[in-house]
Amino acid sequence: MSSVKRIRLFITPYLGLIAAALAVAAVPLVTPDRYVLKVLVYVGVNVIVIAGLALLFGHAGQISMGHAAFVGIGAYTSAYLVKTLDAPWLVGVLAATVLAAAGGLVLALPALRLRGHYLAMATLGFSEIMYVVFREARAITGGNDGLGGIPYPEVAGLKIDTPVGVYLLVWGVALLTLLLVLNILRSRPGRAMRALQATENGALACGIDTVGLKIRTFALSAALAGLAGALYAHGVGFISPSTFGLDQSVIYMAIVVVGGAGSLAGPTLAAVVLTLLPYADALVPGLSKDTIAVMQDWEADIYGLAMIAVVIFAPAGIGGLLKRIRLRGAGEVRS
Amino acid sequence: MDAAEFFQYVIAGLKSGSIYALVALGFTMVYGATGIINFAQGEFFMLGGVLAVWFHGLGLPLPVAGIAAVAATALIGIAFERVALRRQRSASPLVLVIITIGGSMVMKSLARHLFGPDELSLPEFTPGPSVDVAGVAVERQALWVWGLTIVAVLLLAWLYRRTKLGRAMRACSISHDAARLMGIDTARVAMVSFGIAAALGALAGFAVTPLTQTSWDAGAAIGVKGFAAAILGGLGNPVATVIGGLVLGLLESLSVAFVSSTYKDVISLVVLLVVLFVRPQGLFGTAQRGKV
Repeated sequence: MSSVKRIRLFITPYLGLIAAALAVAAVPLVTPDRYVLKVLVYVGVNVIVIAGLALLFGHAGQISMGHAAFVGIGAYTSAYLVKTLDAPWLVGVLAATVLAAAGGLVLALPALRLRGHYLAMATLGFSEIMYVVFREARAITGGNDGLGGIPYPEVAGLKIDTPVGVYLLVWGVALLTLLLVLNILRSRPGRAMRALQATENGALACGIDTVGLKIRTFALSAALAGLAGALYAHGVGFISPSTFGLDQSVIYMAIVVVGGAGSLAGPTLAAVVLTLLPYADALVPGLSKDTIAVMQDWEADIYGLAMIAVVIFAPAGIGGLLKRIRLRGAGEVRS
Repeated sequence: MDAAEFFQYVIAGLKSGSIYALVALGFTMVYGATGIINFAQGEFFMLGGVLAVWFHGLGLPLPVAGIAAVAATALIGIAFERVALRRQRSASPLVLVIITIGGSMVMKSLARHLFGPDELSLPEFTPGPSVDVAGVAVERQALWVWGLTIVAVLLLAWLYRRTKLGRAMRACSISHDAARLMGIDTARVAMVSFGIAAALGALAGFAVTPLTQTSWDAGAAIGVKGFAAAILGGLGNPVATVIGGLVLGLLESLSVAFVSSTYKDVISLVVLLVVLFVRPQGLFGTAQRGKV
C-alpha cells in the first residue's frame, strides 16, 4: 500500500469532521454578531447531546425519553458548584459530567434489562421525576424562577466571557465529542453495537456482553448530555426547569430519528438545522418576525410529523440520504 | 388524624384512582390487541376534556357535548391507527413507540392551535352541595366519576366475555398470529381497540374536567400515571389494570395525607420505576420468559 493511499484511508472517515471544524472556525470571521453567535451556542450544545443520543439510539438501538433530564442534572450541578460554592469552573463541569453519568448508570442498570417500550417509559418516568426535583429543590435550583448570574467559563485564570470565546469553547467541545463518538463507532464497541442492533441474540451468541454494552453506552450518552448542560449553563448564564422537561427530551428523540439510525453525520446535521429553525431570523436577514413566530408556533407539529414520516417512509433519515449521495458520487449506485 | 379525615383521603384517592383506571384500561386494551404501548393515550384524555368544552361552548347540552367528545376522540383514535400504525404492524417496537410519540406531539400541538393555550373548564354535571356519605363529604362530581367508571368497566367486561368481537380481542392478546390463522380479522381488532381505548381516555377526561379543569398539555402527566397504573396491575389484564388504578390513586392520596403534597406527582413515577425494575409483569401477572 502506498503511503498516499494510507494517508487517504486514515483521513477519509474524518473528512466531514474536518469540514465542520473549518466551518466552525470561519463563522466568527464572517460575522461577529452577538445574536448569531448565541444561537450557534445553542446549536453546539444540542450537537453534543445528539452525538451521545445518536450513539444510544442509532447504534445501540435504545430509546431514551429522559435526555433533557441529564442535561438538566449537568446544568444545575455545575451552576450550583461554581456559583454558590465557588468551585473552579473545570471542577464544576467535570462534576456535572460525572454526576450525569452516574445518574445514567443508576437508571440503566435495571432499565436496560427491559426491552423497547418499557425502557422508553422508565426513562420518561425518570425525566418527569427530575423535572419535579428541578422545580422543588429550591435551595439548589432556584425553583421555577430559575437560576441566574451563573459565572462565565474560566480556565486557569483565563475568563471566557466574550461571545466569540464562548462560541469557540462550546464548538471546540462539540467537535471533540464528535471525534470521540466517531472513534468509538470505528472500534470494537462500535462494531459490537452494530451487531446488537442487527440482532440481539446473534450478538449474544458471538460473545458480546449486550447488557454491559447497553449500560456503558447509556452512561456515556448521559455523561455527554451532562457535559452539554454544564456548557449551556455557563455559556448562557441562566437556567430554569422548563428547559429540561419532557418536551425537550422528545425533541432530542425527534432530532435523532429525523437524522437517521446508524449514522452520526445525519443526526448532527439534523441537530444543526432543526435547532436553527426557530431562530432562522438570525441567519436569513429578510425574514419577518411574523414568519418566525408562526414557525415557532408550529415547531412541535413539524417535529411530530417529521418523526412519523421519517420512520414510515425513510427509516434511514438524513443519514441515509447522505450515504446515497456519497455512494452516487463514488459511482457505486446508478439509478 | 381521625377516621373521618382518613376516609376523606380515601375518597379522594378512589376518585383519582378511577380516572387512572380508565386511562390505564386504554393502555391495556391497545397492548392486548396489538402489543403496542400507545404513548398518545394521555392525549385521548386531554381531547375528551377540551372537545367537551368546545362542544359545550357551541351550545350543546352537557350530556350531548360529552357523548360527542367521546365519539369524536374515538374516531381520532381509529384514524390514528389506520393512518399511522396499520401498515407498520410488523415493524420493531422502537418504530411503533416513535410513531405514537410523534402522534402525541401532533395531537397536543393541534389542540393548542385549535382550543388555545388557556385552562378550560366545564360546569359540574349536577351542581349542588357535597353529599354526606357516613360522615364523609363526597363531591357530586366524584359520584359521577365513579358511576361512569363502573358503567364503562361493566360494558367492557360484557364486550370481552359475551361478544364475538371481545373473544377476538382476547384471542389476539393471547397470540396475534394464531388468532389470524383462526380467521380473525386482526387489523379490525386493532382498529376497534384503538377506538375503545380513545373513548375510555376521553370519558375520563370529560368526567374529571369539572373538578380539575383541563388544557392542551394535560395529556402527558395523566398518560404516565395511567401507564404506571396499568403496569402496577399487570399490562394486558383488564381487571388487574382497574385495581392498579385504584391502588395508585390511594397511594397518592395517602402520601399527601401522611408525607407531603409537594412530591405527590412523584409517587406514581416512583411506583412506575419500582414496578418496572422489580416486577415488570405487575402485581397480578405471571413472569414471562423471553424466547429466542
